[in-house]
Amino acid sequence: MLEINDLTITIGPHQIVSIEHLSIPAGRRLGLVGESGSGKTMTAMSIIGLLPRDAVVTGSITFSGVEMVNRSERDLSNIRGAEIGVIFQDPLRALNPTMRVGKQVSEALRLHNTVPRKEVKQRTLALFEQVQLPNPAVLARRYPHQLSGGQQQRVLISMAIACDPKLLIADEPTTALDVTVQKEILELLERLSAERGMAVLFVSHDLGVIEAISDHVAVLYGGSLVETGPAEDIVTSPRHRYTEALISVNPGHPEDIDASLGKPLVTIKGSVPPMGAFLPGCRFRGRCPHEIEQCAVEPPITEMTGDHSFKCWNPVDPALVNPALAIDSDDAELLSGRQ
Amino acid sequence: MTVLLEASELFFDYHAHLRRRDPNASWTLRDINVAMPAGSTVGIVGESGSGKSTLVRLLCGLIVQSRGRITFDGRSLTEWLSEDRREFHRRNQIVFQSPASSLDPRLRIKTSLSEPTKALEQRKPEATELRNWLQDVGLSGEVLSRYPHQLSGGQLQRIAVARALSVRPDVLYADEPTSALDVSVQAQVLNLLMGLKQRHGLTLVLVSHDLAVVARVCEQIIVLKDGQVVEAGGTAAVMTDPKTDYTRTLVEASRATSLVRT
Repeated sequence: MLEINDLTITIGPHQIVSIEHLSIPAGRRLGLVGESGSGKTMTAMSIIGLLPRDAVVTGSITFSGVEMVNRSERDLSNIRGAEIGVIFQDPLRALNPTMRVGKQVSEALRLHNTVPRKEVKQRTLALFEQVQLPNPAVLARRYPHQLSGGQQQRVLISMAIACDPKLLIADEPTTALDVTVQKEILELLERLSAERGMAVLFVSHDLGVIEAISDHVAVLYGGSLVETGPAEDIVTSPRHRYTEALISVNPGHPEDIDASLGKPLVTIKGSVPPMGAFLPGCRFRGRCPHEIEQCAVEPPITEMTGDHSFKCWNPVDPALVNPALAIDSDDAELLSGRQ
Repeated sequence: MTVLLEASELFFDYHAHLRRRDPNASWTLRDINVAMPAGSTVGIVGESGSGKSTLVRLLCGLIVQSRGRITFDGRSLTEWLSEDRREFHRRNQIVFQSPASSLDPRLRIKTSLSEPTKALEQRKPEATELRNWLQDVGLSGEVLSRYPHQLSGGQLQRIAVARALSVRPDVLYADEPTSALDVSVQAQVLNLLMGLKQRHGLTLVLVSHDLAVVARVCEQIIVLKDGQVVEAGGTAAVMTDPKTDYTRTLVEASRATSLVRT
């Protein structure tokens, strides 16, 4: 469905993203995870050509066999919304505040001429029902500010899926929501993708959220794909040290609550360097607690069985049965008390 | 332990002036009873619109309750506010959700950081004091001359914490202090809050919609829904044996994105 090969995105003197290979088969869900500033959104937006004007893209992105890089704006706008749906992070900013939400969804249908005009209204209400909005006829006449955050996000989802896209890009769709609503939205996206055979590219900084919805996970750091593999493998047996760190920062749901209470949480040392300030070699160098001399050289891609690959000179020992717990004791000592 | 802060039969309505016309209108907060011992850590959990932030704003004297009584250190809040307003605010400080909007974009960090001392102690802080406050939250003095837009979200939240602690409060309220941050930065800010609580003997009140966050930091949990306390108790008891369906939903939601498997 979607295939990315040797993609680089450059802004001014800085190369922001460099991805050797990434693909999403039809009907599958890929989770793209990394901290702010790791290039997740840039990668996702490069697919539909929504990058800053001065960004230079090289390499290839093919969507159902069609090349997307350096496509004309006219072609892209026919594809956006019709064949590729997008959900943005902040629903209130993505919706027009002066327009009733029903009308905004109809607009998408009209623009791409997918259904006869007479049926547009009916189709809009059917979409609202699919995303489980209560009382569609009433809600369609509301303005965005009259809806709750969860309802606004459902409206955006209905808009994104209005023209039956083959691919849905969801950029941090649950970050602005409560955990209870987040769970409902994740379940909804999973159901829609299964029912419609729609591929989903899910972007988030929270590996916990990514794991809950994706079949496949791609971990991005410093614009480079450091590890990819099936979701289950990634969280139970990560190999790259950055993936390991992302797992350990998840606050989790400790079994022994009294024991973990007040104990420092595991953190990742330092913060993501600004654009262009990454050290040569492995991007995670300088923040990684397991750094060795070789790390100054760009690590090769190590392929493993079962579609799992990573780029690390000093990877996690797969013999660890439950790395999530093992790292906790190991790193807590190293990192507690100082940041 | 002595009770530092106590609220009994607290009611609040943002449209209190309209109540005479419609006495049956719903309350934003309804019949809240809480007691916080000195030096405790209390978590307030609930969904958007449940009244978490309203409760915190009432307790630290930013808004005034419609009915009920709040006592802080043996004196009622009304008395504090009319007789010793500055001292009350000095002892009760708050950190808000979005660090980008709680710091004035036109002011250098230095100016923002001096603000509470100027307002509450009526003196200008010394340069060494400013540096010490920043050091306490793990930042260097370099940021003093910067503007908020030049710093990251995590750094700004540390500055907001340093500013709150600059007047040596007894109680620190943190209203969703990590919701606007990445998970990796969230852990840093939570560790910072726990460390400061230990070092300064603070009473910490943490507001969050995420039970997983609160469970790592707080001894006591108060669950709010539609302006009412639906459950309150020790963290382990609330998490392992929730008494209401709503709390159970919250526990399950936090478990859904948990990576720690048992």
